[in-house]
Amino acid sequence: MDGSDGNMLLNGKNAIVTGCLRGIGRATMELFARNGANIWACCQNQDEEFERDIRELSKEIGVAIVPVYFDLADNEQLKAGLRTIAASKQKIDVLVNVAGMTHNALFHMTSMEKMKYVFEIDFFSQIQVTQYITKIMAKQKSGNVINISSIAGMDGNPGQIAYSSCKAALIGATKTLAAELAPYNIRVNAIAPGVIETNMTSDLPQEAFSRLMSKSCIKRKGVTDEVANVLLFLASDLSSYVTGQVIRVDGGIG
Amino acid sequence: MLLKGKNAIVTGCARGIGKCIVEVFAKNGANIWACCRKQTDDLEKYLDELAKESNVSITPVYFDLADNEQIKAGIKTIMASKQQVDILVNNAGVTYNALFQMTSMSKMREIFEVNFFAQMLLTQYVIKLMIKSKGGSIVNISSTAALDGNSGRSLYGASKAALICTTKALAEELAEYNIRANAIAPGITQTDMVASSMTDAVIEDTIRQSNMKRMGQPIEIANVAMFLASDMSSYITGQVIRVDGGL
Repeated sequence: MDGSDGNMLLNGKNAIVTGCLRGIGRATMELFARNGANIWACCQNQDEEFERDIRELSKEIGVAIVPVYFDLADNEQLKAGLRTIAASKQKIDVLVNVAGMTHNALFHMTSMEKMKYVFEIDFFSQIQVTQYITKIMAKQKSGNVINISSIAGMDGNPGQIAYSSCKAALIGATKTLAAELAPYNIRVNAIAPGVIETNMTSDLPQEAFSRLMSKSCIKRKGVTDEVANVLLFLASDLSSYVTGQVIRVDGGIG
Repeated sequence: MLLKGKNAIVTGCARGIGKCIVEVFAKNGANIWACCRKQTDDLEKYLDELAKESNVSITPVYFDLADNEQIKAGIKTIMASKQQVDILVNNAGVTYNALFQMTSMSKMREIFEVNFFAQMLLTQYVIKLMIKSKGGSIVNISSTAALDGNSGRSLYGASKAALICTTKALAEELAEYNIRANAIAPGITQTDMVASSMTDAVIEDTIRQSNMKRMGQPIEIANVAMFLASDMSSYITGQVIRVDGGL
């Protein structure tokens, strides 16, 4: 497999993508589908427009896209969602943990309660999903997990203590899991996006945005497709010898 | 067809990773200047067949990285074609294993000449062409030895580390011309270069340390080079991607 067969890099693979309603998750779901993957498209809330869109997309391309709803803040919902995926008895080739939240506040303005809440959404829930799904992958003796970290998790970012700490924790988990799960033929990698054009970065203070752009080589925000393409690379066999890595998709900030 | 219609220069194409890069690039629609040190009939026949099969053009260019005049002559033949150059993969290089105290200064200079200065000379020429056409992607093949440091590989690792530093600086300097620069750090890859330069014990030990417990295949490095050369990585620059099975 080298991409020469019409760019269908995920032909016949089954992928779970979380956070599919918009932003990076949405772009990833669409790109994966166009590359031949069947998808469990996980979102927080049921949404009619979303369901109509994925029905059309799935018809147009000829892949299955199944919506799965759960709120990352609710463990019971999360488990129920994962159980419906497991109940399908399908092989799970790829898990992309996109869903998450951002939080902007200085360290001394961040309550411990808020800190724990952000960790619940941006770290523990991802770990819980990963634990559940990699059990299935280990049985299959194959799999591929991709976590969305952030350059904030590598460089730090003033005003993002909770968010950046979660994203750093995800990197630690990624590297450890790459080592623990390699015997089961499961690869685990992360990407670290920089400033990407999404709703999530729209409330980034202008000062922080200017500071990041001044450090950036490419001097523009990335678009969600540019992140989705890197996820496609990591999800596909193009990266079959890449594991435990964090790939910065940041236009050259670091 | 991730590189359809793009024109690429790849060095070190006679075997190993370079040969595989030419194959993957050609199958993905790129026209290629395949740079090698020596002309051989077998190689020309192979490139010719690959070009026909993939419906692209592959032009062999011969120069020895140890000889600046040859490099300049080689690049002149590329420039004379008046084609746009979209991609440069600096893959050619030599390996060298010796303990630091056993590495002579003349050897140091010789290895840096081939693994670093030659790449710089070639890159300088090619960048001029890329700046004119306002776009390009440079992929340097470094090594995990450059990042980790390995006993017996101070010289090789240093020459590959220099390449990483240049990659990062070029990413900054050239972004305004829409040129991206990235590097790959392969781990232990199943090539003649590794087989001839590392003892079985060292190879086995490295494999044992890796998550995947196997050597990489040249195609696995070539696929990452394709990713970095293609528009799939349009927001990635100044990065080093380890392709090492998790060392």
